[in-house]
Amino acid sequence: MLQDGTLQAAITPAEADDPWPHHPAPARRAIHICLCGGFSQVDSFDYKPALETYHGQKFGDIDSADVFFGQIGLLRQNDWAFEQRGESGLWVSELFPHLATVADELTVIRSMYAETSNHTPATFQENTGFRLNGFPTAGAWLSYGMGAETDELPAYVVIPDARGLPAGGSINWSNGFLPARHQGVVIRSQGTPIDDLFPAQDISPDTDAASRDLLADLNQRHLEARGFDDTMAARIKSYELAARMQLAVPEVTAIDGETEETHALYGIDHETTQDFGRSCLLARRLLQRGVRFVQLFSGGAFGSPRINWDGHEDMQQNHGREAARIDRPVAGLLHDLRRTGMLDDTLVVFTSEFGRTPFTQSASDVLGTGRDHNQYGFTTWLAGAGLKHGIAYGETDEIGWKAVVDRTHWHDFHATVLHLLGIDHERLTYYHNGIQRRLTNVHGHVIDAILDA
Amino acid sequence: MQSVRIGPIRGHPRSVRISRRATQSRIAACLLATLLAVGGLSIADDDVAEVDRPSAASTPDVSALLARRCLECHSGLDPKGGLDLTERRRAIEGGDSGAAIVPGQPDESLLWQYVRDGRMPPEKPLSEKERDRLQAWIAGGAEYLLDPIDPLRYTTESRAGIDWWSLQPIERPAPPMIENSEAAAWAHNEIDRFVAAKLEKNGLAPSGTAERRVLLRRASFGLIGLPPTPEQLDAYLADTSEDAYEASVDRLLASEHYGERWARHWLDVVRYGESQGFERDKLRPNAWPYRDWVIDAFNNDLPYDEFARMQIAGDVLAPGDADAIAATGFLVAGPYDEVGQNQQSAAMRAVVRQDELEDIAGTLGQTFLGLTVNCARCHDHKFDPVSQREYYQLTAALAGVRHGERKIMTPDMEREIGTLTEQVTHLRQKIEKLEQPVIQAVLAERNADPAAKTAPQPISRWTFDDDLKDDIGPLHGDAHGLARVENGFLLLDGKDSFVSTVPLEQPLTEKTLEAWVKLHNLDQRGGGVVSLQSTDGRVFDAIVYGEREPARWMAGSNGWVRSQEFGGPAETEAADRPVHVAIVYSPDGTITRYREGRPYAEPYDSGGPVTFEADASQFVFGLRHGTAAGGNRMLTAAIDQIQVYDRALSAEEIAISAQRPEVVSYETIWKRLPAEQRAAYDALHAEVDAARQRIARLKDTRVYAVTPREAEPTHILLRGNPASPADVAVPAGMSAVCGVDPDFGLAADAPEAERRVRLAEWITSPDNPLFARVIVNRIWHYHFGAGLVESPNDLGFNGGDPSHPELLDYLAADLIEGGYRLKRLHRMIVTSATYRQASLARPECLKIDAANRLLWRKSPMRLEAEALRDAVLSVAGQLNPQVGGPPYQDFTTFVFNSQFYEMIDPAGFEFNRRTIYRTWLRSGRNSLLDAFDCPDPSTTAPRRAVTTTPVQSLALLNNSFILRMSDAMAHRVVSDAGEDEAAQIDRIYRLAYGRSASDREIARLSPFVEQHGLPALCRVVLNSNEFLYVE
Repeated sequence: MLQDGTLQAAITPAEADDPWPHHPAPARRAIHICLCGGFSQVDSFDYKPALETYHGQKFGDIDSADVFFGQIGLLRQNDWAFEQRGESGLWVSELFPHLATVADELTVIRSMYAETSNHTPATFQENTGFRLNGFPTAGAWLSYGMGAETDELPAYVVIPDARGLPAGGSINWSNGFLPARHQGVVIRSQGTPIDDLFPAQDISPDTDAASRDLLADLNQRHLEARGFDDTMAARIKSYELAARMQLAVPEVTAIDGETEETHALYGIDHETTQDFGRSCLLARRLLQRGVRFVQLFSGGAFGSPRINWDGHEDMQQNHGREAARIDRPVAGLLHDLRRTGMLDDTLVVFTSEFGRTPFTQSASDVLGTGRDHNQYGFTTWLAGAGLKHGIAYGETDEIGWKAVVDRTHWHDFHATVLHLLGIDHERLTYYHNGIQRRLTNVHGHVIDAILDA
Repeated sequence: MQSVRIGPIRGHPRSVRISRRATQSRIAACLLATLLAVGGLSIADDDVAEVDRPSAASTPDVSALLARRCLECHSGLDPKGGLDLTERRRAIEGGDSGAAIVPGQPDESLLWQYVRDGRMPPEKPLSEKERDRLQAWIAGGAEYLLDPIDPLRYTTESRAGIDWWSLQPIERPAPPMIENSEAAAWAHNEIDRFVAAKLEKNGLAPSGTAERRVLLRRASFGLIGLPPTPEQLDAYLADTSEDAYEASVDRLLASEHYGERWARHWLDVVRYGESQGFERDKLRPNAWPYRDWVIDAFNNDLPYDEFARMQIAGDVLAPGDADAIAATGFLVAGPYDEVGQNQQSAAMRAVVRQDELEDIAGTLGQTFLGLTVNCARCHDHKFDPVSQREYYQLTAALAGVRHGERKIMTPDMEREIGTLTEQVTHLRQKIEKLEQPVIQAVLAERNADPAAKTAPQPISRWTFDDDLKDDIGPLHGDAHGLARVENGFLLLDGKDSFVSTVPLEQPLTEKTLEAWVKLHNLDQRGGGVVSLQSTDGRVFDAIVYGEREPARWMAGSNGWVRSQEFGGPAETEAADRPVHVAIVYSPDGTITRYREGRPYAEPYDSGGPVTFEADASQFVFGLRHGTAAGGNRMLTAAIDQIQVYDRALSAEEIAISAQRPEVVSYETIWKRLPAEQRAAYDALHAEVDAARQRIARLKDTRVYAVTPREAEPTHILLRGNPASPADVAVPAGMSAVCGVDPDFGLAADAPEAERRVRLAEWITSPDNPLFARVIVNRIWHYHFGAGLVESPNDLGFNGGDPSHPELLDYLAADLIEGGYRLKRLHRMIVTSATYRQASLARPECLKIDAANRLLWRKSPMRLEAEALRDAVLSVAGQLNPQVGGPPYQDFTTFVFNSQFYEMIDPAGFEFNRRTIYRTWLRSGRNSLLDAFDCPDPSTTAPRRAVTTTPVQSLALLNNSFILRMSDAMAHRVVSDAGEDEAAQIDRIYRLAYGRSASDREIARLSPFVEQHGLPALCRVVLNSNEFLYVE
């Protein structure tokens, strides 16, 4: 527990040989808000006045545009008005009115690009660095490389959208080729929070306790008869930890005990925001108790009706609905982390697999209402420890179509996130398929320009 | 012939035979490389003189120096600074900075200037001696004694060359003599002599033999993945004959469960999954025949080379053999990106295809060769002698491999179809006998009544007499591309021509589509005749020709959701004259197809119908669906007429419209039959329907396997990027694999089948040293928990050195000589004294070799996830021993664009099968199995982690399966042992631990049982280390 603000050393030890941290770590834990479907940079953080000028005109570079559904309609201006916010003057649109109030906390990267505009490979790359199934997510890498500041909770926790899992389900928090213990553990806000926490049948507490005692006794005798064995001794210990986890998990998920004011801060008092508000508050509680990495999903699978950010048909309707669900909770989370002091050594990451096109997805002479996937230029932001705040890094072109200044690949993004967490991305490795694998493959450069030097 | 004794290469002594008349340059190069490796990394020029030299020369040879220190950067497709030093000519030409070598004048040579000044090689300059040699060489004329120099020839400190140990031919080493008489007495077979010699060298002694009960439990889990029953244990302990253990091993190897056990290991390696992965993760309901094929292959002791050949090219090596087709499931056992393969952008599709080929080639290379060839997709392999060109040569051999389902037919299925067909004929005769009088009567009446022949009234009709106008309704058409009307036909060129109508004014749900169409050719695939679609082209119902099956008419639909292709006969006439085709969409979702006025295949329930809304729907002709021409959706044909009805026509109406008035429908006959005959008539129909459905199902039996297509040309892709193609690559192997000619003798456009056949031959050649070494090491790994090489998928540079190189080669040579029989190998391993050692840790040995690499004991092993679940079922008396067949499903599923799986713990005998028969979903993972390190089936898992976590302990304590099995076990124990508590406890110990409980143990446990019950004790025992570990 971190009630007094003091930090404990990693209690669930890291598995990687290279001890953490590789360098002084500004951040000790992270929360990743992962938006499924692709949120629009030109409607949120990447203000393009030229789009207003060209609104309804043909996109000039039409011959070279290669987009997912192959339809290149007319250019469309931002559907939400932009304003400069806070002391920093960072541009944030009315899509995120609450986030706008904490604009001075944000470090926006407006020059992201991805290798594919197909949702799932792009999501894999966003989370694992690779376009394919079978690679560990950043959370799994952190569990492997950093361990956790608690042994009563998992190092890597996933909280899916209340409406459903993202496409591919648990593939999205896989350990890949890392040992299975590093995969994300789903914690639910309702029902049993994690699998098998308590007996699936009625077993009296008395019998349960006596059974554990007997088990410890049998295992101890077995161990003594054998001399000594590391792994068998570890199994005895793991039953003690399991008992503590049975206490810790219900405690951490009991968010009703938080004050009304806190509930309101996260939007738990409103129908639209209560789902994501609960997730954000739960995430804060988990981090507070030593979990290393919490991944929150905003949005479920693809298809109709839409339950994620994939605004092909009608941006106003789609992004309006999705942003309303998360804007206040995320802003509340940043407020809360700041006032508790946690933001001083916590990293907040806000991403989606790609952005959206500045032109609409429609026939070439039609001004439609939806936008297609855009792998060539999009926005992410970070907040918290070790960063320059209230800045925007990188630029897309005049209309927000392609990143052109300080182009940032996911590998660079990941290298930077790892750096902020005290990890040299070239040193966090695991041998698989003939090579010491990394989150950043054989690429990636830390973006020094956004670091608080 | 001359025999040369070679010193150790990274601790790997061997003898090599050299032929002075080696004709194949490749082999000569391999042997040369072997020789050059003499003395490890520092090679004196004198060593080279032992073999055929390209020419006599007075200057020093710097081939090795250049290869080791320069060529890593200055070679290949994109050498650094444009400088390629592999050939003399190109070195003299130089790179971006100009000529690198001026022969005879070192000071004028950029190469020497850079080296002299320490600018090259960067960071690690040459030694003085090396510099002197280089300078002397340039001064002496810079003759290349090897020209070109293969940059991958030599092993260096940072990478393997073609002289790497695992690439060298296998020679059967003689087992060493053991000096120590105790160890000599301990040794049981040849394995032990290798192990004992190594132990002795390191000052260690082997452990004694484990207790007999421990041995049986060990061999039983090791070979069949299940614990011995108390009865098997008793019989074994009672058998005092000398070969009692060997007899037990033979019994285990003969068990059907052996195949199940070892197939599960194999499935780890081949990333076997039963759903697609990626976004959709659709279920693969027909993947399991591959799993069964693997089980059968192990049980039948199929020679390993044949085992490999079948998985690479079974479908072409044994055409028509259902098992051989199933075997190719290996190549496509990995994930499949359905969305990525079908996206609009051709450029992005190409990337997805390259990703898929990397998965296939990478898995193949690691599985059979222990080479991580996938690392050479973007550049030459950084650690092993695999060039980028060779990677693309390998993918060229696999370039026709595609994921998909294939129909299969076995002799048993054929027999069943024959019987059923006879049955149908017989039943049809009975039916006809009943209905003939009625039909005659109906036809007679029709002839007398002209009104009965009046055709039904469509809502739209396009006759194409003069234009594209709708003769009846408002749905006039517009031509696109070169679509035009000529001589009463709509002509479509199959490229960019089609017709689209204005949007519907009324919605349409129930409907009939009808067309008279003459096809340009019968082998076209996928074109639409008439399609009713949403105006964005996403939702549609269409008359489609030849899309999923050649030459068949199909009711096409978006994502085939309302389509079923099988059953109809192949079209033979439509290229000669217009044929009549109609599809009826009934309000209850039934879709009925007609050709020439007669039913075409069986009607089926489509799950429909769909309502096509007014203003948002339209008809298109000549295009399956969409808003623009392209792809396989285009029809090449002349359409005579199209008609559309806003209701489902009856069979008679279709027949009349098609001018087939002799057709009388079932409904008409039924109404006119004498009432007392109707039940019998219906029963006959029901029987015919059932038989026909079974026939259709049998004819449509599918397996998920390679569905080959002729290969597109394979290009070397610069930096792995499909947008940067370089030279064409022909199908071929890798030259670093000594002893086998990598040349497949195939051209770049060689037929698909030949590519895989040659690939299979190359991989399984007895001269391929990797093939046998890899499987021997893999099997060793599963028996001991660690391989002789610790990375079973990688015998390259990063894989590390073998602990017992001679033993590895001895076993590999023995495997080849023994005809690749794996059971023989198992037997040798399991009966060795090495395997039979006790597992207790000995402090003095721990100090020297804590990891037990030298095998001074048998390390205890924790049960893997599947073995744990199987053992729990077994000791609880609940194991369903059924071998093979479709998997059990421990999930519920729903589709929301993607397919989702919710994991459940279903109770019942059909779910109590061995865990290998689980449905191995990529996104539906089982928390109990995962807690015990079950790997992600999306990627190859050559070895599993063994971790210990609180989540694992919680799973084993609280999971519903474990608790249910604890109850079942308690129940069983009472039924086995009766009411006596001591007997019950003893029985639990014998079941779970393979030993009796001592009196003291019984005394300790009795009070617990009295207070908390037998199920509670079973739960504790199933959680205990003694159960979970195999000593």
